[in-house]
Amino acid sequence: MAIMISIPAGATANQASTLSLSQNLVNTITQTEANINQTLTEIDCSLASGFEGFGFRTQEYGNFTPGQFGGGNAPPPGNFTPGQFGGGMNIPGQFGGGSFSARGGSTPMNESLYDDIATIPNVASIVPILQVTEGTNTTMTMFDRTFTRMIPDYVIIGLPLDSTALSTYPILPTNITSGRNFQSGETGVVLLSENNSAFFKAGVGDTITILDHDFLIVGIHGSSGMEDSQTLYMSVSDAQAITNNTGYVTSLRVFATDSASVTSVSGAISALHPELQVTTSQQRLAQLEAMQTNYETALANSEATVAQTQSIAFEEVGVAIAATSLIVLFLMLYTVRERTKEIGTLKAIGFSNGNVMSQFMLEGILLSLFAGLVGIAIAAVAAPTLSGLLLPAASQAGITTNVGRALIGTNPATTAAVTLTPQLVLIALGASVLLGALGTLYPAWRASRTRPAEAMKYE
Amino acid sequence: MSETVLKLENLSRTYDSGKSKVPALQNVNLQVNKGEFVAIMGPSGSGKTTMLNVLGCLDKPTDGKVLLDGVDVTQMPEKDLYKIRSSKIGFVFQTFNLLPYLNARENVELPMECNRTPKSERSKKAKELLQMVNLSGREEHRPQKLSAGEQQRVAIARALANDPAIILADEPTGNLDAKNKQEIVKLLANLNMTRGTTIIMVTHDIHVASHTERMLLLSDGKITKEKRGMHSIKKKTICPSCHNAIQPSDKVCPYCQKTLETKV
Repeated sequence: MAIMISIPAGATANQASTLSLSQNLVNTITQTEANINQTLTEIDCSLASGFEGFGFRTQEYGNFTPGQFGGGNAPPPGNFTPGQFGGGMNIPGQFGGGSFSARGGSTPMNESLYDDIATIPNVASIVPILQVTEGTNTTMTMFDRTFTRMIPDYVIIGLPLDSTALSTYPILPTNITSGRNFQSGETGVVLLSENNSAFFKAGVGDTITILDHDFLIVGIHGSSGMEDSQTLYMSVSDAQAITNNTGYVTSLRVFATDSASVTSVSGAISALHPELQVTTSQQRLAQLEAMQTNYETALANSEATVAQTQSIAFEEVGVAIAATSLIVLFLMLYTVRERTKEIGTLKAIGFSNGNVMSQFMLEGILLSLFAGLVGIAIAAVAAPTLSGLLLPAASQAGITTNVGRALIGTNPATTAAVTLTPQLVLIALGASVLLGALGTLYPAWRASRTRPAEAMKYE
Repeated sequence: MSETVLKLENLSRTYDSGKSKVPALQNVNLQVNKGEFVAIMGPSGSGKTTMLNVLGCLDKPTDGKVLLDGVDVTQMPEKDLYKIRSSKIGFVFQTFNLLPYLNARENVELPMECNRTPKSERSKKAKELLQMVNLSGREEHRPQKLSAGEQQRVAIARALANDPAIILADEPTGNLDAKNKQEIVKLLANLNMTRGTTIIMVTHDIHVASHTERMLLLSDGKITKEKRGMHSIKKKTICPSCHNAIQPSDKVCPYCQKTLETKV
């Protein structure tokens, strides 16, 4: 009984986690769409990932699409960290089936090689961006192959802080939660995300050391969804200096003079530099929308799984409740029959109908309470194993949860394993007492109505 | 004149077995006085047990009246009869009918629980009653640890728990060997003598019946014969006021301190 009750509780927790993941995604997409609408003339140019043969592609061990949650193709969820998504990750397209190239690349390219972009008609401006991920290298073995991967601590994004760029284009983070934004011409200053702030254990006004250089924290930006939760902004010249990337950038944001000329400009850039991955705002929006559809499908699948798990669990609970009541009913009817003579005796020596009824009710309830305690003891030992065996779907929901944990960068303590909470124990005990009482009601009533003279004859 | 404890007026009980009606008791009239020890005898099917059940409010008569301590119990609703059974009647059964999961003391306490007697008082009284039936030291034994004779003593102690006006014993010696039979009937006779308890006993056994002072023979649901005075010495040793046992030579009752008549 207790096991039966504990299972739907676990399933509900999984569903809650999935819903939280979904909410987070929706926030990110909304935010990104808003950004894109502001910058319709923006064209992102960066070296196509893997162009220089570096890095590895996830495709080597199969595409990972959200719909495959719980399948065997996904890399262990622990290897996904929020910073790897949407920049700072050296494998764009690893997530979401390889279809989405995140804004900004991560492969350094010599800025001077691309001066000719400025000569393309209708190019208004070129904003250089340097993005460098700092983290810890870890080695992992998967499918008999060893990979070295970086688990990012933070992602540095260098932005040009000259007055023209700042006044003309929306390149600075917009959501400053404390402190202030960059000012034109500043150097030696950083804007941290809340995650960065926790990582460095520092806030506005503090000085932190990044790659042996000191920086003053002028503000904290709130991340929009998951995209820039580990991003640390500084001026592009500072970023180039401290990462030994002087003259190098990882992406160029080319702004067209108007949205009508975006297509022709992007075509011209691709023609001049076929090695560049050129993405217009419209394309990114389309990619994002495709990804959103993928996620919605995945979420629907996951919700269906959870709903199915729950409905199975509730059916089982229903059957258990019916069976329990019937067992108590028949057991007590049998007991009453067996003890007819005793009931006759009790009545002969002065027990009232009420006395007899309460005596049997008490027995039934105590019996059920004891059975409930035994059930809980068994559940405490066996529920984690049994819930997996009884409901394999619940385990799948658990994997979804793990992916969710990796994506949203939090660590919800929800797994498919069912834990017995005091609340659950009380519910289970209450249910056993209630069912015991329910099942005993009729037998006890029958006992109380026994006619003593007839009962005494019963052998 | 002695006080009447039980009076049956034109008592009839007919069993309806669907097709036919079987008369178990037919127009029985009987008066039992306080302190009497009455034996009801008769062959199987003569209506002895039916009569005892009706007297004990376990069964309702088809017709007639049962006046118990002046109250017509046939007029009482079924759901209230337990009060009469609890306070005015003590039952002793052939098969003892002790509850196997309770010890001797707890079995004796059981009727007192219905009366909501306080626990300490119940326990004290149960011990006294068990002492009276010579079961001191056996209070905590369960029925299965006691001999048949001992079990019947516990049952007698239980019957006395609420100081009933009358004890109804249905073949109390029916399941006992000769020695225990003798002891139980002596115990009942002694209770009747010393405490003045009114006892109506159904028995097959003439030797057992011979300990009573009045014997009724029941046949086909009617009292066909009645004998009196079988227990001749009894009256000489009972105080007429308090019904306690006294020596025939006593001039003053040692219990109620009343002066006794010198008539022998």
